[in-house]
Amino acid sequence: MNPPPPVLHAERLTKRYGRRTALADCDLSVPRGHVVGLVGPNGAGKSTLLQLVCGLIAPTSGTLSVLGSPPAADAAHLARVGFVAQDTPVYASLTVAEHLRMGSWLNPSWDAALARRRITEAGLDPRQRAGRLSGGQRAQLALTLAAAKRPDLVVLDEPAAALDPLARRDFLRGLAGFVRELGATAVLSSHLLGDVAQVCDHLVVLCAGRVQVAGPVADLLAAHHRIDDPATAPAGAEVVWAEPGRVVVRGPAVRGGAPVPLEELALAYLSRAAHRPSAAVTR
Amino acid sequence: MIRFTLRQFRLPALAGVVLLALAGAGLLRLGADVRAVPDPARLPDRYAQTMLFLAGGFALVPALLGAFWGAPLVARELETGTHRLVWNQSVPRGRWLTVKLAVTGLAAALVAGLLSAALTWAAAPVDRAAGDRFSTVLFGARGVAPIGYAVFALVLGAVTGLLLRRTLPAMALVFLVVVAAQLAVPNLLRPHYLPPERVTVPMTAEAVNRARNLGSITGGPVVGGLDVPGAWVTDISPLRTADGRQLSDAAFGACFRDPPRTGATGTFGDTAVCLGALDLHVDLAYQPNRRFWPFQWIELALHLGAAGLLAVLGRWRLRRRAG
Repeated sequence: MNPPPPVLHAERLTKRYGRRTALADCDLSVPRGHVVGLVGPNGAGKSTLLQLVCGLIAPTSGTLSVLGSPPAADAAHLARVGFVAQDTPVYASLTVAEHLRMGSWLNPSWDAALARRRITEAGLDPRQRAGRLSGGQRAQLALTLAAAKRPDLVVLDEPAAALDPLARRDFLRGLAGFVRELGATAVLSSHLLGDVAQVCDHLVVLCAGRVQVAGPVADLLAAHHRIDDPATAPAGAEVVWAEPGRVVVRGPAVRGGAPVPLEELALAYLSRAAHRPSAAVTR
Repeated sequence: MIRFTLRQFRLPALAGVVLLALAGAGLLRLGADVRAVPDPARLPDRYAQTMLFLAGGFALVPALLGAFWGAPLVARELETGTHRLVWNQSVPRGRWLTVKLAVTGLAAALVAGLLSAALTWAAAPVDRAAGDRFSTVLFGARGVAPIGYAVFALVLGAVTGLLLRRTLPAMALVFLVVVAAQLAVPNLLRPHYLPPERVTVPMTAEAVNRARNLGSITGGPVVGGLDVPGAWVTDISPLRTADGRQLSDAAFGACFRDPPRTGATGTFGDTAVCLGALDLHVDLAYQPNRRFWPFQWIELALHLGAAGLLAVLGRWRLRRRAG
């Protein structure tokens, strides 16, 4: 039997807006069952990539398959992908309850019990108009709408951006929990490395429209080390980023090498990309 | 999707129902007043102005529907970002647009149909007496044609909103375009739906005096406002001499400015006598009144067809929309 197709598979995926290239020759493959963190600075192309995944926009060139078909291929495919857009748009004049009703009308796979439970847990009043919700409550409503479709893939574009640090921590913990509960794959973008380090087990670092590094968090952590002097890097190891007192190398275990926290690892690649925009892409 | 469309459409629909009820009550009253006039022969004189005024106001209904119901339909979603929410429900975008257009289009057709039915009923005795419901202005405020205008305007509004992505500019543009279409269709398209009948009218002094106006602003030999009984006159040729050529501006000008004095009465006095002596004629093109209903259906089909094409364009644009 063939293994199930990857959740996301992109080959030379490119998106240009006029002359501006938002995403360039992006190759990416994400297996099922992970919480994938997509990190990068503002303007790195994170939203572009996620909107391509949801079929909100079409690629300029290259191919992208989501759960084995083109993005937003048909109604059945739409039902399998839940999307929480940046700034978590909701209908300001509709109440929370009416949003849930919309979900049940527009999604055959709607799980009304799950939706009601999540709304209660988040402390939302069903009679409240969505326009009067706080940023955090709106994010909860948007996440509930995406979750109650019971999707195989949940895509979240900066879902925690509008939240204060405490609410953000709670939101991300809840997110990780319910992704496990759904048995789904989640892709979540953030410009905050800390958010991602907290919940993700698969990392994609995006900068200047290119994938800088991608892989399971455990593998990445095992493959990267911090050493004091780039000159002591062993043969076969690649220096990702070197600055006084902080050198990150990728390669076989190094004597005297210390483990690199995930945040620092991502930062090393972002720093490299910022200094050498044409740097070779590592996978 | 239909239920959700109805829910989103609740407020605009409510506003529409209130205005429709007010207009309906007014038209019922007008119909009662018209029927209370004992002598039908006096109706045209008494109500001609009212009917023109109502038809003019009626012409704004599609423009209002297009601007207030059509333009916000998609543009509002794009403006508030809710398209990113609703397009990720399990309803493909093309179907989403089709259902939205179908539901609101039906509502627009209903509004226009009810208004037209009320006005057609209220005006029926006047129309019977005057026999002019085929005329350029009144035609668009009778029968089934207004349904076509309304559906066309609504779809135009929605698609314009989709292309412009901003509600207010779309509303303004749609209003202007629909009003322009309401002027262009009767004057440029409608006369040609079926080949017109033609007749040559000798321009005796008497015939000249029946015209409404004489001479163009540049002094050209034209007459305006000639009638053919039981028909809608769509074209009047310039004054022609017996050999079929157009009367020269000089000859026309001579009669117009400095005709021999005969003491004749009539609208154009000595000028009419002077022209009448030249053995002139005009060629008229007209559509007989029995074509009123064929023309109504053609006009309806034309507008529904245009609406359908616009809807296809909208779906196509939505599918390959970027950003």
